[in-house]
Amino acid sequence: MSSIALEKVVKRYGAFEIVHGIDLAIDKGEFVVLLGPSGCGKTTTLRMVAGLEDVSDGKLSIGGRVVNDVAPKDRGVAMVFQNYALYPHMTVRQNMEFALRPLKLAPGEVDRRVRETAAILGLDALLARKPSALSGGQRQRVAMGRAMVRTPEVFLFDEPLSNLDAKLRTQVRWEIGKLHKRLGTTILYVTHDQVEAMTLADKIVIMRDGHVEQVGSPEDVYTRPANTFVATFIGSPAMNLVPARLMGGKLQAEAFTLPLPDRFAGRTAEGQAVLIGTRPSDVTLTAADNPGALRATVEVTEYLGDDALLDLRVGLHEMIAQVPAANRPGNDASVHVTFNAAGLHLFDAATGGTLLS
Amino acid sequence: MAYQATRNRRIFVLFLLPVVAVLFLTTIYPMLYAGWLSFRNYDLAKPFIPRIFVGWANYAEILSSGTFLHALVTTLKLMAMTLSIQLVLGVGIALLVTQRLPGMGVARTLLLIPMMISPVIVGLVWLFLYFPELGYLNYFLSLVGLSGVGWITTTTWALWAIAIADIWQWTPFIMMGTAAALHSLSPEPYEAAMIDGNSRWDVFWRVTLPQLKPVLISLMFLRAIDAFKIYDIIFVLTKGGPGDSTEVLSMFIYRESFTFWRMGMGAAASFVSLAIITVLVTFFFKSLNRDRSALE
Repeated sequence: MSSIALEKVVKRYGAFEIVHGIDLAIDKGEFVVLLGPSGCGKTTTLRMVAGLEDVSDGKLSIGGRVVNDVAPKDRGVAMVFQNYALYPHMTVRQNMEFALRPLKLAPGEVDRRVRETAAILGLDALLARKPSALSGGQRQRVAMGRAMVRTPEVFLFDEPLSNLDAKLRTQVRWEIGKLHKRLGTTILYVTHDQVEAMTLADKIVIMRDGHVEQVGSPEDVYTRPANTFVATFIGSPAMNLVPARLMGGKLQAEAFTLPLPDRFAGRTAEGQAVLIGTRPSDVTLTAADNPGALRATVEVTEYLGDDALLDLRVGLHEMIAQVPAANRPGNDASVHVTFNAAGLHLFDAATGGTLLS
Repeated sequence: MAYQATRNRRIFVLFLLPVVAVLFLTTIYPMLYAGWLSFRNYDLAKPFIPRIFVGWANYAEILSSGTFLHALVTTLKLMAMTLSIQLVLGVGIALLVTQRLPGMGVARTLLLIPMMISPVIVGLVWLFLYFPELGYLNYFLSLVGLSGVGWITTTTWALWAIAIADIWQWTPFIMMGTAAALHSLSPEPYEAAMIDGNSRWDVFWRVTLPQLKPVLISLMFLRAIDAFKIYDIIFVLTKGGPGDSTEVLSMFIYRESFTFWRMGMGAAASFVSLAIITVLVTFFFKSLNRDRSALE
């Protein structure tokens, strides 16, 4: 049984539709990340699950029960907000205790839960402090603590790391990951940061303009992107896309020709317009006399430490290559490159959909 | 350079002079003069009698006079009546008009009207309402079968009659300040409380109210100073009567000065009430600062 299920869930504000009939099933204990650019409807979807927004159409169930018209407090969810949403006049302890008040627990039990949660999150020493006396990372932990003390069936996270600086973000990300392993609670997590999504998720839901573009494991969405949007959204730097046409069993681009990899055989039609996708790490430097070597000019070299990014021009096509930094060419160098055939993606130029599906 | 600076400074002083002059003539000089008077025996009915220095005699007489103490108690009583009810009503109405309901914007503007009317006019309006035989209030009471009361003619009701008029006029002030403060509270903690299932009462009492406290203290403090000086409405409605049931400090000062013409006494009473207000202000600021630091 799914822990959370969305069936054709729609959100409208007046005549304006923001979320267009989303279907999604989340298993018990699963860590699911809603990922997409801002304005894609991911936060709205999360808020519908929380009950902070009404569901305009469709069916939303939690734990097998339809909750469209169930009050937020009766859904068995706890939420961690982007800006923490702590009560500013209460101490850390009071913030957590306030979340427990509706449960009407015995004072001893309240104390036990607060202590236990504080211990897990390393907040023991901060219980008497007010939010204003805490750092961003500490506030974030308090917000998580306030959600955890209630031991909900489902945790909802709304961009919990976006107000933290880069270093802290990595650290809190690890903590959230560890916490999920330890508690095993179902988590629905919203972010626009693909690194968070890739590292934390069991399942990533990639959204755009109120539609789900792809649902899959991090590996799925990276290695088998369903369309060009997912292909370019996941992975950094973004996947290179080169327009081409299938001619006589070969991929004919403006500046080069590639043999069609076997796995695409039968999935394409002669003369079909396609987009060739290659990850920058699948574009490698090679010797000029290698078969299939393509002439390219390096426009800019970006040094990243272990690797370097090369902004290449291959004929009319611009693309990025990620190569070991050790023997990187300089700006304006003339080089030869080749594409790793195993990492080649093909998309229909008209629909943007993958030809592998 | 130096010349320029001196010259600029002179121009500064020149521009400031009119303000300082007006301030001196209307505030500083009268105050100093009142201070001087409060130590003299000055009877305006007999201006030819020299204004002899009487030391603290005026103060001693005031502080030992039952009339003054009665006026002080009446002032504090009226203050307690109006402030407590204004606070409860003002916050209540503010919570109502900040809801996203149709017509709340209009309601908010309309509710501000009493505040914009001069207190004398407010007094007159309520005089028509309170009038024993011809007043609307008793007329409406008679419609539902109740016998009217002597709103401003009985000692039982007179202070309440004044309190009601003042509450009517100044509740919007509390409402306005509270509504503004409510708007500045961030919505997320409320959403968190909604998901956690905290009751509305719990949220109001433990989340909203503590955050409003500094603003409410400021508003109450401003109202307290006003209530301490209340004069116009009483002058129009009861002139301190019946008996001395509505004689507040300002009425006492007015009577000493302009009915009995004892200017020295009036001046001394003014200074005593100034002292009380000063203590009040200090007290309020202290508690306000304590609250600010509690929020931080």
